[in-house]
Amino acid sequence: MASLVSNAHGGINGVLGNAEKLIIDTDPGIDDSMAILMAFQCPEVEILGLTTIFGNATTEVATSNALLLCEIAGRENVPVAEGSSEPLKGGAPRVADFVHGKDGLGNTFLPPPKAMKIEKSASEFLVEKVSEYPGEVIVLALGPLTNLALAIKRDSSFASKVKRIVILGGSFFALGNVNPAAEANIHGDPEAADTVFTSGANIVVIGINITTQVQFTDADLLELKESKGKHAPILSDMCKFYRDWHVTSDGVHGIFLHDPVSFVAVVRPDLFTYRKGVVRVETQGICVGHTLMDQGLKKWNTTNPWTGYSPVSVAWTVDIEGVLDYVRELLMKP
Amino acid sequence: MAVDTEPKKIIIDTDPGIDDAMAIFLALRSPEVEVIGLTTIYGNVYTTLATRNALHLLEVAGREDIPVAEGSHVTLTKGTKLRVADFVHGTDGLGNQNFPPPKGKPLEESAASFLVHQAKVNPGKVTVVALGPLTNIALAIQLDPEFAKNIGQIVLLGGAFAVNGNVNPAAEANIFGDPDAADVVFTSGADVLAVGINVTHQVIMTGSDRENLASSNGKFAQYLNKILDIYFSYHEEAYNTKGVYLHDPTALLVAVNPSLITCIEGIVRVQTTGITRGLTLLHNKQKRFGEINEWSNKPTVKVAVTVDAPTVVKLVMDRLMDL
Repeated sequence: MASLVSNAHGGINGVLGNAEKLIIDTDPGIDDSMAILMAFQCPEVEILGLTTIFGNATTEVATSNALLLCEIAGRENVPVAEGSSEPLKGGAPRVADFVHGKDGLGNTFLPPPKAMKIEKSASEFLVEKVSEYPGEVIVLALGPLTNLALAIKRDSSFASKVKRIVILGGSFFALGNVNPAAEANIHGDPEAADTVFTSGANIVVIGINITTQVQFTDADLLELKESKGKHAPILSDMCKFYRDWHVTSDGVHGIFLHDPVSFVAVVRPDLFTYRKGVVRVETQGICVGHTLMDQGLKKWNTTNPWTGYSPVSVAWTVDIEGVLDYVRELLMKP
Repeated sequence: MAVDTEPKKIIIDTDPGIDDAMAIFLALRSPEVEVIGLTTIYGNVYTTLATRNALHLLEVAGREDIPVAEGSHVTLTKGTKLRVADFVHGTDGLGNQNFPPPKGKPLEESAASFLVHQAKVNPGKVTVVALGPLTNIALAIQLDPEFAKNIGQIVLLGGAFAVNGNVNPAAEANIFGDPDAADVVFTSGADVLAVGINVTHQVIMTGSDRENLASSNGKFAQYLNKILDIYFSYHEEAYNTKGVYLHDPTALLVAVNPSLITCIEGIVRVQTTGITRGLTLLHNKQKRFGEINEWSNKPTVKVAVTVDAPTVVKLVMDRLMDL
């Protein structure tokens, strides 16, 4: 119950005795902000820290935004560990500022955070916490998987000690969102993603084939704005930019709830069904970043690149209304 | 199906193969089409054996008048490490029946040259039904820049669209056989209709269908019944099912009657490297991408998405049991 003490001034997060210990690896990001602020409003989890990564913004901006989100939630005590500024193979990462704005938060240009990131790197922090609480820590990975791959490389026992890694990433038997073959998080660091998927860790992956089914329409966004939700005003501001991008990109008058849906999968896994299979990531050619799952429908008569790896759980269906209700409840909680 | 116009001219590019044999016989039994030639390719067997089997099957059918043009022995990139599916079709490609060698000979002309020539003399009138790796078609496209325009339609059996492959989780056998050739064909601008295993896996000949086939005195039914044993055993082993997938017959019948399927249009690219080599990836244009990508500005093709499986199976049975 140590969490009760350390969270004493920060509301209800983690107050349940059996709260799940959670680290969120994140690139905030508008939908990341929604997921993080939801997590802070959720009694079923105890947030051990945030680790940052490039994707929706640069890693530097993601770190600043993560600190800011902790501050907004009144949880400046939550450690923020900065992650890698580039993918495993090096080079400048692709940053989706056309989706999330220059500041990653929908061009709301909030004042800079007061708190500082911790000294440790994201992968050091991940290894440390997972070793401190073996079998207890869940990692919710909302961006490219570089930090997790580095943690796996840093500590060979990480994969077996982490309780679960819930990944927002990939597109299973469906179109990508960076290009027809690839989803943004996996495309951001395909080598890291392949390392994580084949690590043997207990992995649940939520692809955009699932998350794009769960949308906030304009009416939902209006309802959020007019609600008494603790963070409704700031999230409503951020969402304007994000919503306008969805109209041009997908013809959707609303937003996809990628990161919030993935958070729901941490606390309400019962709202999804899953299929198990080995997942590999293409790291070469025109389909770089493509996630390909062996559904296990055929008995192969030769070995292939999927042979011999541990299966992961791939979200297969989602209770759309159930997830939306849960998201609304947390976002509209005063 | 009433025939009120002249039959559609088709060339079958084939690697016989048990289901290729079914498709070839079906074509010969379909009044809607006129088979003007067979071209051969590696896949189920090596090209040399494919040629021999093509000639043999035409002799079984009493159609030695139909020319056979031998195709490429190597992939478009001159690869020779070909994967041959003798565990599916037998070492002779026809269910290990040790048929006598055919008397006929293939044309002097290569498959690619034959395709180019036939398309040129009958512009817009020839349909190619491609049942193996697409090397010959890609060579025809490279041989004659007009081929893609001259050919009426290319109906190809290949790819796995939004499903696992059958060679490995990523790739279907025909595309895996020559991914570079497949990418050339898909992006050639020709009128291409792809029938993938996402569709053909819905078309199943059951054990009782086979018993019906066996009970027919039809020449083709009797012949096919003999060669089907190994194909049924393979399916039981690999898929734990008592039926067999009618890949090639489905593609052939789609060429005969396109209304047996529904399709969508989009851009298909083939992955040619890496662990997903042979993956077919369709962009159906439902999403707009902000940046130029490898699918941008390429011609579209048609991809089958649903099939009237009961009608396909019935046509296969009716036509093959016909005396």
